[in-house]
Amino acid sequence: MVFKMLDGNEAAVEAMKLARVQVISAYPITPQSSISEKLSDLVAAGELKAEYVRVESEHTALSVATTAGLTGVRAATATASNGLALMHEILSMTSGNRVPIVMPVVNRGVAAPWTLWCEHGDAMAQRDMGWLQFYCQNVQEVLDLTLLAYRVAEDERVLTPAMVCLDGFFLSHSMQKTQVPEQRLVDDFIGPYIRKNTYIDPDDPMFCCDLTGSDEFTEMRYQQKYAMDNSIDVIEEIENEFEIRFGRKLHIVEGYKTEDADVVLVALGSMCGTAKYVVDKMRQEGKKVGLAKVTVFRPFPVKQLKEVLKGKKVIGVFDRSAGLGGQGGPVWSETSALMMNENCDIRNYVGGLGGRDVTIDNIEKIYNELLEIKEGKRTVHTEWIDLKENPMELRQVTKNV
Amino acid sequence: MISIKFYGLGGQGVVTAGKIFSEAISLYEDKYAITVPAYGHERRGAPVNTSIIVDEKPVLINSFVYHPDIVLVMDSTIIDKDIDISQGIHENSILVLNTEDVNVVNTYKKYNFKEIYYVDGTQIALNNIGRGIPNGSMLGAIAGTGLLTIESIEKAIIESFGEKAGEKNAKAAREAFERVKKM
Amino acid sequence: MQKQQEKHSKELKKCRVLGPVATIFASSTTGSWRLERPVIDYEKCIKCGTCERFCPTNVIDVYKDRAECVVINYDYCKGCGICVNECPSKCMKMIPERGEE
Repeated sequence: MVFKMLDGNEAAVEAMKLARVQVISAYPITPQSSISEKLSDLVAAGELKAEYVRVESEHTALSVATTAGLTGVRAATATASNGLALMHEILSMTSGNRVPIVMPVVNRGVAAPWTLWCEHGDAMAQRDMGWLQFYCQNVQEVLDLTLLAYRVAEDERVLTPAMVCLDGFFLSHSMQKTQVPEQRLVDDFIGPYIRKNTYIDPDDPMFCCDLTGSDEFTEMRYQQKYAMDNSIDVIEEIENEFEIRFGRKLHIVEGYKTEDADVVLVALGSMCGTAKYVVDKMRQEGKKVGLAKVTVFRPFPVKQLKEVLKGKKVIGVFDRSAGLGGQGGPVWSETSALMMNENCDIRNYVGGLGGRDVTIDNIEKIYNELLEIKEGKRTVHTEWIDLKENPMELRQVTKNV
Repeated sequence: MISIKFYGLGGQGVVTAGKIFSEAISLYEDKYAITVPAYGHERRGAPVNTSIIVDEKPVLINSFVYHPDIVLVMDSTIIDKDIDISQGIHENSILVLNTEDVNVVNTYKKYNFKEIYYVDGTQIALNNIGRGIPNGSMLGAIAGTGLLTIESIEKAIIESFGEKAGEKNAKAAREAFERVKKM
Repeated sequence: MQKQQEKHSKELKKCRVLGPVATIFASSTTGSWRLERPVIDYEKCIKCGTCERFCPTNVIDVYKDRAECVVINYDYCKGCGICVNECPSKCMKMIPERGEE
C-alpha cells in the first residue's frame, strides 16, 4: 500500500480505475469535471481498458451507463448539482431496473442562485430515488467508500445503485495524503463484474423495463425496499471484510466521543473532520461534546444511529441543505422520526450552503448552544447558524417605476 | 499544527503551488498536509488564495485557514486589489514575499509580521524557466523559512512537473532558497 | 405618454429585490485577466499583419500607414501571447503587468 497525494476527484477516479470500470459515459460539470477528464485521459492512454462514450447531457450519461450496465459490464458515470437534477428521471430507471452503478456525486448547490460550491441539496433532493447514499468525510473515505460501494451495490442481496457523495471543493479539490491499495488486493475484493439479474443480450433476448400494471408495481417497489433494508447488514458485513483486507475501519455511523457526551451533533460530509477537531478542543476545556458522523444516509441507519444517540437528552443536527418548506432539514427530519419515542430535544441547524465554510467557530457555537439548552440556560437556538445580518436587505436595484 | 495561506493572482499557479507544497510535506517529510483551495469566480489576473494545514498527525480540519502562521504572497501588487493579506495574523506570523524591491518590502512592514522573507521569484522564474510564473521559485523561498527542506520541495516539483520542466522549476526553487533574505 | 415617462424617471429609486440580480458587471473587460502584455518593437516590425490574423480575441489592428502600426486594445487583450509566438519577425515580446494601470 502506497501513500499518494490525491484530491477527492482523483481518489474517485483511482477507485473507479481499481474497480476496472468497462464503460464510462460522463458529462463534465464543475466541480466534477476533473473526474470526467481524468477518466478520459486514462482511457486515451490505454491505462484503463474501457469504452468512453461522449454524451451531450447528464440525462444521456446515466441512460448510457444504465443500459451498458444491463449488457453485463461495470458501467460508470459521475456528476454534480444541476447535472444530478437532470439525471433525476434516469436515477429511478437505474434503481428500478436494479443496475448497480456506483456514481460519485460531487455535492454542489442547485441553481438558482447560481453557485459552483458545496452543499448537500443536490443529493438530498434525490434521496428517495432508490439509490444508496454514502457521504465522505475526507479524501481517503472517497476512495474507500467507492470501493466498498461496488461490493455492496453489486451484492445479490442488494442490486441497487449507489451515490458516493463528496463535498464540492472541500473534498473534490482538497489535496490529502491518501493510502492507495494495490490493484491485486482490489481485484480480490471486488472481482470482475458478473450480471446477476436482468440483461440485454441479442443471443438470449428479454424485454427490460416493460410497462408494469398495478397488480405488480407495488411488489416490485417492495423488492427495492427489501433490498434497501437488506443493504445495511450487507454494508456492515463488507465493512468488516474491508477492514481485514485493507486495514481501515469504515463506519455506517461513527460515534466520536459520544459515549459520555452531554450533547451530540449529527452531521455528514467533510464538516465531520472539523467537528471532530472541535470536539477534541472543547473536551480539553472540560466540555463533554460528541459527534455522530452519518456515513450512510440511504438506507437511513436506524439501528446504528439509535445506538449512538441512546440516552442523549440534547441533540443537534447539522443539515448542509435548506430543506425548504420542511419542518427542518432532511437529516433532522430522519433523526427526529428515529428518536420520536425517546425523551430528547433535537435541534435543527442549517448552514454551509453554496460553499459557505463550516468553520470551527460555527461548530463551537452550535455545541455551546446545545450545552446551554441542556443546562436550561437557553430555549431557542440559531436555526440558520451562519446567516448574515439583514438577509432580506441583500440586494438593491434602481427601478424605473 | 501550522496553518498557511498562499495568496496570488489567477494564472500564477497558486493552487498548483499549494498542491506541490503539500506533496513535499506529505510524501517527503513524513508529515500530513491538506490543501483547501478557495475557488472563486476564477480567471487569470484575479486574486486567489489557498489554505494549507500541516501537522505531524492526520489533519482533521476541513475548513479554510483564518489565522495563518505563514503567509506567502506570490504577487506584491495583490494588496492594491482590496486584499488584506494580514487578515487573522498573530504576533508570530511570518510573511514570504515575492519581491526584491526594498520599497515594496517597506510597504508590507505596516502589517506587523514578525519576520519577512523576500526574494524576486518572478525574475528567478524568468531566468530559469523563461516565463514569469513564480510558483516554483516561491516554494524555494518558503523552504528558506525552515518549515521544510529544499530537497523535499525539489523532489515534489520534479514529481509534479515531470523531468524536463521539473528540473528547471526545481533550479528556480533552489536559486530562490539560496537568495531569500530576511527582514 | 411623455408625461407618464417623465413621471417615471422622476421616481427613479433604489428598490429592494429578492434573489440574484446584478446591474454592474465587474469583469466585463477581459483585459483585467492579463498577467503579461505584448509589446512591439516598431523598428523591426514588417507590418505583415500576422498578429492581427492570429489574435483569438480580435483586439489587434495593423495600420500600414502609421509608424506605430500595431494597435492593441488592452481593455480586452487577455495576454495569451499567441501574437508573440506567431510574429515572423520576432518583433513582439511579453512583458509582465505590474501594479494597477
